[in-house]
Amino acid sequence: MLLRLLPGDPANALVSVGADPAQIEAAREQVGSNLPLGEQFLRFLGSLARFDLGTSFISGVPVSAEIADRLAVTVPLTVLSFLLAILIAVPLGIVAAVKADRWYGAAISVVSQLGIAIPVFWVGILLVSIFAINIRLFPSGGFPSRGWADPSGALYALVLPILTIAVVMSSSLLRYVRSATRDVLGSDYLRTARALGETFPQALMRHGVRNGSAPIISILGIELASTFLGAVVVERVFSLPGLGSMLLLGIEQRDYPNVQGVLFVSTLLVLLIGFSADLAQRLIDPRLRDRAAGARS
Amino acid sequence: MTGPVFNGHLNQRRNVRTLAALSLVVALSASAAFPAAAQEDYDPDATVRIGSLYEPQNLDNTAGAGQGVSEVFNSNVYEPLFRLTDDGNVEPVLASDYSISEDGLTYTIKLHPNVTFHSGDPLTAQDVKFSIERVVAPESKSSRKNSLATISAIETPDDQTVVIKLSQRSISLPYNLSYVWIVNDAATSFTTSADGTGPYRLDGRRRGSGISLSRFDDYWGDAPTNKEVVFSYFTDATALNNALLTNAVDIITSVQSPDSLALFKDNPDFTVTEGQSTTKEVLAFNDRVEPFSDPRVRKAISRAIDKSKLLNSIWGEYGTLIGSFVPPTDPWYVDLTGVDPYDPETAKALLAEAGHPNGFSFNLDTPNYDPHPIVAQFVKSELAKVGITVNINIITANEWYTKIYQAHDFQATLQEHVNHRDIVFYGNPDFYWGYNNPEVIELIKSAEASATTEEQVEKLTTANRLIAEDAASVWLYLYPQIVVSANNVTGYPVNGLNSQFFVYDIRKN
Amino acid sequence: MTLPEQAIPARRGLRFSPTLTAGLILVGLHIAIALLTLFWTPYDPASTAGGRLEPPSWSHWAGTDRLGRDFFTQIMIGSRIALVVGAGAVAIGAAIGVTIGLLAAFATRFLDDALAATLDILIAFPTLLLAMLVVAASDSASLWTAILALGIAMSAIVARLTRILAKRVLRNDYIAASRTAGTSWPGVVAMHVLPNIWPTLAVSFALQFGLAIIAEASLSYLGLGTPPPNASWGRLLQEAQGTVYTAPIGAIAPGIALVTLVIGINLIADGLRDVADPV
Repeated sequence: MLLRLLPGDPANALVSVGADPAQIEAAREQVGSNLPLGEQFLRFLGSLARFDLGTSFISGVPVSAEIADRLAVTVPLTVLSFLLAILIAVPLGIVAAVKADRWYGAAISVVSQLGIAIPVFWVGILLVSIFAINIRLFPSGGFPSRGWADPSGALYALVLPILTIAVVMSSSLLRYVRSATRDVLGSDYLRTARALGETFPQALMRHGVRNGSAPIISILGIELASTFLGAVVVERVFSLPGLGSMLLLGIEQRDYPNVQGVLFVSTLLVLLIGFSADLAQRLIDPRLRDRAAGARS
Repeated sequence: MTGPVFNGHLNQRRNVRTLAALSLVVALSASAAFPAAAQEDYDPDATVRIGSLYEPQNLDNTAGAGQGVSEVFNSNVYEPLFRLTDDGNVEPVLASDYSISEDGLTYTIKLHPNVTFHSGDPLTAQDVKFSIERVVAPESKSSRKNSLATISAIETPDDQTVVIKLSQRSISLPYNLSYVWIVNDAATSFTTSADGTGPYRLDGRRRGSGISLSRFDDYWGDAPTNKEVVFSYFTDATALNNALLTNAVDIITSVQSPDSLALFKDNPDFTVTEGQSTTKEVLAFNDRVEPFSDPRVRKAISRAIDKSKLLNSIWGEYGTLIGSFVPPTDPWYVDLTGVDPYDPETAKALLAEAGHPNGFSFNLDTPNYDPHPIVAQFVKSELAKVGITVNINIITANEWYTKIYQAHDFQATLQEHVNHRDIVFYGNPDFYWGYNNPEVIELIKSAEASATTEEQVEKLTTANRLIAEDAASVWLYLYPQIVVSANNVTGYPVNGLNSQFFVYDIRKN
Repeated sequence: MTLPEQAIPARRGLRFSPTLTAGLILVGLHIAIALLTLFWTPYDPASTAGGRLEPPSWSHWAGTDRLGRDFFTQIMIGSRIALVVGAGAVAIGAAIGVTIGLLAAFATRFLDDALAATLDILIAFPTLLLAMLVVAASDSASLWTAILALGIAMSAIVARLTRILAKRVLRNDYIAASRTAGTSWPGVVAMHVLPNIWPTLAVSFALQFGLAIIAEASLSYLGLGTPPPNASWGRLLQEAQGTVYTAPIGAIAPGIALVTLVIGINLIADGLRDVADPV
């Protein structure tokens, strides 16, 4: 509903300089922006119920087809960055907690402090100027027009965007891992296990990982969702044809079916991610299962 | 004037010079068109990758797709009856022969025989009638609809002949027809698919990323010198430049910032070509409202802005200063940069004379994309020196249409005008800037009804002088048109008039 | 974040840990620069007297931009813009968020559940995305739309935290005692709830302050934030991206300014957390 209240008329994006009022009126009729707001919204709900996200005002392409095309960029971008961030954050976070008194443990903490203060687009600009301009190792933008039919080209185009997101995301993840590890280290069960003769790494693997990962998973869920949606900015830096750039363009052109479609699909995905994280957490931590069965606080 | 004016032949593309004689406009230097065309060594099955900032929003040039649609499709996928060549000439394409009646009101056009669409359907007069009617139809959003409004009837006496009847003389009809794609009248969708007669068929499209074309083997004319052409789209000029540097594209159709050019210029791997441009950066006033209804105020503002410093700020050593809306490529161009030269002292005097000795303040509606915000900041700082306060109001392209173009609810704005021959906008008092000078309106109207090109040029030249002397708007500068390519690619157009980019002569080795 | 089970005394005197001190120095520096720009800058920010894209020199510490304006002057003004945006957004986010959070805490079960569910969904969307939609819904970009958009987007996070904290306080026996003694609900809020929850809220506000500055830079980078001639760091970076070959300083200096301020704020947040929530 909010979207329909945006000032500006989608018909404007369709007419070019030189158009007369009759042409503009014809365009309004075509996109339905001459109808009352309520009716426009009801039409949208009606078509949603039929799993039909409508057709873009501007491109004439069904919204669902375009979303599918663009998810083919955004989903790999999100998932790969996420995996890379975990690969960076988990070991470094544990080291930072276990070796907090050593110089490298402290260094990791300081660098992660830096990482959470950097806007993601600036990381992108810096990586572009280092890797694309000075070393000319990776492309700094664009996506092959054949998409994943050109797998090496597609992957190559995603290298710098993935690095960009992973740098920022791993910094915040790292801090969660560090504090979760610290909690585990100070726990009674670990001390008990060590007293019973297990080595420190053994104890950490057997008890620490399982106990420490439950809170991390709920954080991961939130981070994954926000990476997915935060790809907007990164897609702009690297001219990637993802869901974020579709949303930006849709807002600019008042292409409501596109904007509504993107918001609908991303809300769905965000809820799905949240739900999966919840589920995973319960599988890992039996206490949560029991608590869920009992009274909720 | 009667009888056949021209006999077309298949080879017209290679013969731009001979066509200059009949063309309706004065030719530019044709030699600039194809740099280093001497290189004969090329791969006839090459894939040419072109980088551009202008992604078409759909595939139809009557549905508001933006300038990018001309870049990809004009003469590559769809062909017109007449085309505007990269030199600024108008030449026949699908018309093999045409004649004009004595009163100038009837055009009889013969079509090339044996032309087929990519789908295999033959080209007939019916397709042509359908195509023209599609552009002038009420639901069409073509910007050239008004120019074609003089067409009163289209007849098709046989499959190869089209007769166009006009309600009044229109000397620019062949030029205006260059905006009309000849489409298959059996086509079902124009926004998502394409069926033209051009040397390439549409191969694939990925929104936000690119469009690919492949050679059409049954093309009626000369076969292209490459097999496949891929247009890749970028939202950011830097990313586009980097794509050329990292060999992800072969050509950039139009460079939008001078700062990367040094990298290409000093590098033997690349070729930088500066062509002729028609894109004008305009500070347009709402000439209907105080204080801009007073020509003295407009002239004062024009004189208060150091346009050569502005041009240098935006474009470094590139670009051209213009004293009116007409670029040097239009036949009615005259150098008018001396009419209101940079002179803050006379600007202050003019302001005092107009009753604003202490200046005034106004809102400058500025589109949110480059270069307008930075130009607005420069204008603000220059006008502050003569006592005028500028409030910069940033708006989106969409709001520009609603607020300025439709509602005329503004004091002043910035906009780039890309088209060739668009001085006609000053002959329309209902245009967004509301310039209303009866003498100019009459000149522009009668120029179109001229019987000869000389008469048309003379009238439009006079109109051009009048708008400059009135400072109808402030014409800040003419963008440069710069194409950069890898040095193994030749044969591309360098002027890109009306945003066209003909790809069929591109050779790659 | 572990939360104090018992009400903690509101004032225990700030202990200046190294973290807090470092943060205060960084932020203090930016505040000093921001205040200075109100009276004096090295050059008139609008003066286009310099050359195009001059490299850093003694007369122009960070070089000049395309129009020949001193870049260091613009970065200094950027501090002021960033602090105004951060403070404005936090003020709006706090006002709306705390109000809604308290209402939810005091509301009927049904209303509370509905509010909590809505807030959960809103929080799943990053501040930036919500702010983008708010900006898009306004007529034209301005400093105030950016602040308002970020404040509104932030209010959901503040509301959820306030609700959880307030409910925890309300469960205490002394609230019931106080009610029995005749204290009105507004009185309960003023006397018991706010004094107990503000230390934790303050930590959250500090973190949100930093996030708002990053979000505003991103909005400006996307062309949806503070319009020119206000020198937002995000807009400076966006403009410099096109000239990164010839004038790399433009793509570096505003970023460094931004990062130092955000780190400073985050350090203050960490320092405050140690005070509010000593482990």
